[in-house]
Amino acid sequence: MLVLWGAATAAFAAQLALPGDLATVILNVRTGQAQQRTPEELAAINEQYGLLDPVVVQYLSYIGGLLRGDLGSSYLQFRPVWDVIGDQIGATFALTFTALALAWVLMVVWVTLTAGRSRPVRALGTLVETATAGLPPYWLGIVLLLVFALGLGWFPVIGGTGINGLLLPALTLAIPLAGFMGQATRQAFETSLTQPFVISARMRGMSDLGVRLRHVLRHAVLPAVTLSGWALGATVSGAVIVETIFTRPGVGKVLVTAVNSQDLPVVTGIVVVIAAAYVLANLLVDVVYTLVDPRLRTS
Amino acid sequence: MSARPLALPALVAAAAILAGCTSTAASPTDPSAPASAAAPAAPTPGGSIVYGHQQEPACVFGGWIEQSYLSYNVLDSLVALDENHEVVPWLATEWSVSDDQLEWTFTLKEGVRFTDGSELTAEVVAFNFDYWMDGGNGTAAAWLGGYYESAEAVDERTVRISLSRPYPRLADNLTQGYFGIQSKEALESRSDEENCEKPIGSGAFKVQEWNRGENIVLVRNEDYTSWPANAKHEGPAYLEKIDWKFIGDPTTRVATLRSGETDAIYDVPAIDWAPLGSEGYELHRYVTPGRPQQLAFDTVDGPFTDERVRKAFAFASDRKQIVETIGHGVIPYEGNGGVSQATPGYSQKAADWYSYDPEQANQLLDEAGWTGRDAEGYRTKDGERLTVVLPYGAGSIINADGAAILQGIQEQVKAVGFHVELIPVPPSATFAGAYSTPEERDIYPGYWTSVTAGILYINWRQHLPESPNYANSAFLADPELEQIILDANSTVDLEEQNELYRKAQEYIAEHALSIGVYARLSTLAVREGLVDVWQENAQGGPVFHDAYLAG
Repeated sequence: MLVLWGAATAAFAAQLALPGDLATVILNVRTGQAQQRTPEELAAINEQYGLLDPVVVQYLSYIGGLLRGDLGSSYLQFRPVWDVIGDQIGATFALTFTALALAWVLMVVWVTLTAGRSRPVRALGTLVETATAGLPPYWLGIVLLLVFALGLGWFPVIGGTGINGLLLPALTLAIPLAGFMGQATRQAFETSLTQPFVISARMRGMSDLGVRLRHVLRHAVLPAVTLSGWALGATVSGAVIVETIFTRPGVGKVLVTAVNSQDLPVVTGIVVVIAAAYVLANLLVDVVYTLVDPRLRTS
Repeated sequence: MSARPLALPALVAAAAILAGCTSTAASPTDPSAPASAAAPAAPTPGGSIVYGHQQEPACVFGGWIEQSYLSYNVLDSLVALDENHEVVPWLATEWSVSDDQLEWTFTLKEGVRFTDGSELTAEVVAFNFDYWMDGGNGTAAAWLGGYYESAEAVDERTVRISLSRPYPRLADNLTQGYFGIQSKEALESRSDEENCEKPIGSGAFKVQEWNRGENIVLVRNEDYTSWPANAKHEGPAYLEKIDWKFIGDPTTRVATLRSGETDAIYDVPAIDWAPLGSEGYELHRYVTPGRPQQLAFDTVDGPFTDERVRKAFAFASDRKQIVETIGHGVIPYEGNGGVSQATPGYSQKAADWYSYDPEQANQLLDEAGWTGRDAEGYRTKDGERLTVVLPYGAGSIINADGAAILQGIQEQVKAVGFHVELIPVPPSATFAGAYSTPEERDIYPGYWTSVTAGILYINWRQHLPESPNYANSAFLADPELEQIILDANSTVDLEEQNELYRKAQEYIAEHALSIGVYARLSTLAVREGLVDVWQENAQGGPVFHDAYLAG
């Protein structure tokens, strides 16, 4: 709750710090022009949105609205912010969760196969992780689009909201993320491989793959679990680029448009919703932690 | 009265400029494109198409050119512009002007109904005029402001528009999408949200649904009776449905066309223009009339208050060369700072006023007293460097190609000693009015589309303390120029009027108030088998009423 209040207040404070007069921005964006305005032109807009009220009054009415679950209305779409976000949030969640799941699959497979092997294999593993972690999503997205959608025709170019259109956008986010999480996991994985319980498991005659999956992995994924909470947020920002390339709806694109046009009710609304998602994600991470590491349950 | 999109449209413009093509003719369709008219069979109604557009506006109808492109297919206007730039009937069957030029009378088509069932009457039209002026459409209001007085219904079918000053090109301006007529009943009884998302017109299509971030679905108006006189066929649209998708990324947009996921796309990137043409896609290109992408000099503060310095800048920049280099011969160079080559009453003389001549630039700067040189080679006067600030709306008014062109100019004028401080301004700051005062800047780029040279009035009406005109980006207060334009605006004879508009452009060139850089484009690529998509002649938007699927 405190986090949400903090996010809402920070978003409100940020809008006060933005350059320029808000009524001017609204009028300029509505007419597609960038110029100064006369007070007469601005009067109607100032009146409608109470932009000339003292800041405290504006803040209280904003927080009051939030408490009632009212995020206000978009200056430009004339719609409640809930509807603006509601239209897009499903697509965003589908994208970020699929991306996260794919990242985990890619990471686990890759680390399990290459960590603690011979030197060249380990070097290859690290190299691929470092390279993919640094891939710019715009470049990666365009390459995937041109190769798999346009060249091979396996996927539609326009992602849209269908399942079929989800894979390439999700991969665009998942590949760098997998590389990033892989770097964190690999070190823990290789440390665990030398632990006594691994040797004892091997002595019980367990296969190498079995040891890696049953025993080592469980120890090694804790850093990646922590990263996942962060990654949910990070994928939202990466989503903007992916949404544009693959023509997907989503909160990211809406946020960028709203920031550019200073459609502040939408901006603050999305900030609050994302903050709430972060809080939930971190709760989930805590739960997953206790599942992965039973020691935490008793301590 | 004149024109429009500066900033947001600029996004488009910018992109539009990417798009482009090989010649600079004003004709809306590229004559070199494969002749679609060759389709043998009569059109069969039915089918649906997917159209890939670049930008998604906040509402269907509004004051931005992107909205105009959409609303043109949903709302009918009183009049339309044909390919010869003649005003032809649409919702109005005829119109006339009183002898004193102050009263316009439009006679409306009979039996036209909006898609909510209400009837088109003179009263509805009059209501629309007041609606635009009262904030319903800021751009329509900018055009009519200073001239419009009132609109009233004389009888069921006759509407009278009263002006405070003569404005003979009124009908020309009404052809722009900002003047689409909506159902009065819908405007009055529905919420702002509904009117934003699904405006009720009498047009060839109506809005079925809007999936924000994805597409707008337009469906055929089965009872359509009010096509414009320049339509290619009579009767309702052939196509049942248009899936108007928003595909922001240019690479993706072209890829969807090639993969067959779209049937037509807007804004073809320059680099894909020739290849798509040779692959058999039909290419359409429209050079937007109105203010071109130009550089306006700050005439009230800083070094450009000296006319010689402005002229020196004009001589020192080889704009033609840089536009041709960056634009791959696709972006049309435009030397005229007043209006673009597609505008009626265009002055070639004004466009040719300054050719690249660094020697003359040097001489002018010497005369103006900028005789010193500092260590970096920039000119100085009284120890002060010749620095000029050039802020530009990056990603809004100026696209990537436009920014590259400005960088080229920055390098070119450095040779004679100008230090250009090029400042990219993000969209949020641009619309918030960053760099909008004379003290903050010295040069300001920008464009504004319009169908007539009447745009000159919006851009050059005097900027005075008691009546500021912030659209005058040179902050010029020059009664002589304003008078020429006012005289032109109110001159009835077309040739005489154009002569005056040309005089105004030459005045702008002579005093180096603004110099042109390039003209804005609107382009389309259409796949084979989709026939008779065309670009309307007022703003270059796609028209789907006549389009049909062949074979």
